[in-house]
Amino acid sequence: MPAVLLVALVAAVATLPLWPFANNYIVALAVRTLLFIALGQAWNVIAGIGGMLSLGHGLFFGLGAYATGLLFNSFGLTPWLGLFPAMAIAAAAGLLVGLVTGHLRGIYFALATVVMSLAFEKLARYFVDLTGGDTGLSVTFRGDAPWAMQWRGPTAFLFLSLAVVVIYYLATRAILRSRFGLELQAVRDDEGAAAASGVNTFRTKLLGLMLSAAMTALVGTLYMQFYLNIDPSTAFGLFQAIQIQLPALIGGLGTAGGPVIGGALMILVSEAANIASGKLNLQGVDVLIYGLVLLLVVMRAPLGIIGEWHRWTSRRAGGAR
Amino acid sequence: MELVQALLSGVLVGGVYGLFAMGFSLAFGVMRIVNFAHGELVMIGMYVGFFAFSLAGIDPLLAVPVALVLVGALGAGLYRLIYRRFVGRATLQQLLVAIALALVLQTLAQILVGPDAHAVQSGWGSRFLLIGPIFLPYAELAAFAVALVCVVGIELLLGRWRWGQMIRAVADDPEIAELVGMNAQRVNIVAFALSAGLAGLAGAVLVMYYPVSPVVGATLMPIALIATVLGGLGSIGGAFIGGILCGIVEQVTSLFWNAALQDVPLYVLLLVIMAFLPQGLFGRQSAH
Repeated sequence: MPAVLLVALVAAVATLPLWPFANNYIVALAVRTLLFIALGQAWNVIAGIGGMLSLGHGLFFGLGAYATGLLFNSFGLTPWLGLFPAMAIAAAAGLLVGLVTGHLRGIYFALATVVMSLAFEKLARYFVDLTGGDTGLSVTFRGDAPWAMQWRGPTAFLFLSLAVVVIYYLATRAILRSRFGLELQAVRDDEGAAAASGVNTFRTKLLGLMLSAAMTALVGTLYMQFYLNIDPSTAFGLFQAIQIQLPALIGGLGTAGGPVIGGALMILVSEAANIASGKLNLQGVDVLIYGLVLLLVVMRAPLGIIGEWHRWTSRRAGGAR
Repeated sequence: MELVQALLSGVLVGGVYGLFAMGFSLAFGVMRIVNFAHGELVMIGMYVGFFAFSLAGIDPLLAVPVALVLVGALGAGLYRLIYRRFVGRATLQQLLVAIALALVLQTLAQILVGPDAHAVQSGWGSRFLLIGPIFLPYAELAAFAVALVCVVGIELLLGRWRWGQMIRAVADDPEIAELVGMNAQRVNIVAFALSAGLAGLAGAVLVMYYPVSPVVGATLMPIALIATVLGGLGSIGGAFIGGILCGIVEQVTSLFWNAALQDVPLYVLLLVIMAFLPQGLFGRQSAH
């Protein structure tokens, strides 16, 4: 994406609260979109660039959210500092996941990781004293308390989550061009060839997974502060497992812009479905529409928007020759 | 004695798990399709059994063939519409499509019949057989018997029936099967309909003692997956044994630990199998 366009886009989102039609609902929706995009960006690092199609990133997201909340509730540790142990815990979990399942390929890795996440869902439901059980863990609301990363309105969260998305976008671009990123892509494209050319494939995959896990956990921290509650199925459930993949899969796997486009698009779909469901006055219609759109998009555009765009333009270029 | 009771209950419940795991394993073994909507097909089979009983007063046991045919036909339709594109490539896209389909079916059920759980209370089904201190509900015994008959039937079908032999041939090597004149697409439809039919059948059997709700598929799905991996990818009989093992692990866990956590050791078991015994107990293919 050209730098000018990027700056304009960031400026447009950052000034959103000043726009004439803006209200708390719109700003909160923007925060939701940005958090969704950030999750997709974090997943994209290992799944898109590294080709390890994790279905268990809810695990890292949930660990980040629960760790932040528990550290604040039990020890009064401000989330500004709590995010570091949260990210470290998730990275450690990523290391463990990688050690146990790192040798599995493709769909087997996906299945093994989703099972770990589902196991955590059961455990989070069971250990009520620690996690709050089914209703989830809530952090005490302190009103406008910047030291506790809490505000009454959504505007501060807009800036925070926008900053994370921009940092993740630039980081993805930097990774794609770095030696580490090239090694990850080599492992994705042909693990045997990568190993033959001297890449320590297992180490590369572990590092990628840990980085991606830590990035995911940071979004968990923001989620916890914004919604003030996290429950087992939001954190570790199957729906969350697919949600995390959507921005990158729909926008374009392994690209820096993919999760941004895909995330924004899916929130639009979900909002439109929500409004349609309200008009029809039928509960569940929104999920139905969302599922159907997902079904159609994955079937019709398996490469994602950016991938299909490249295929289309290269086909046109080929035809002109 | 408690342990014996848990083991026996585990075998009985596990037999039905094995039944729908076989369907899941069939779709995976033949077409490399990881059908994450398999649990929802079981759920539809359960509703067939439930409505046959609550609306028409038909014993769930008699609704079993109806569920087999109905859900089998639904499976054939889903194959034509969706899964056909993904045969032979177990990709993340395929997995996502299946999960999206599961979501759609689940939500449709929620809209059509409401979110509440229903149980079938048939006369004989709620009674149980007492052998000393051990009690075995008739519903579970009947379900296990049906499962056993079906397993033998499926093994015979795949071994003797012309279509069954073709299914195995396509599973072994679709290209060679095409070369010797089989229409792999048609064989796949039959195999997928059979896979879905097994799910529906298992559902109609299961509803005799397991309450049905729109989200029941999501609970059952991981079990089918674990049973399949446990039994060995591609081994259909192995999936049945895997299902029985799952049932036993669940029941023993409820006895010694907690019923709410009965699935957690299953997940751990799956990871251990994937890490150390990737070909499963009876499988020929490896997950590596």
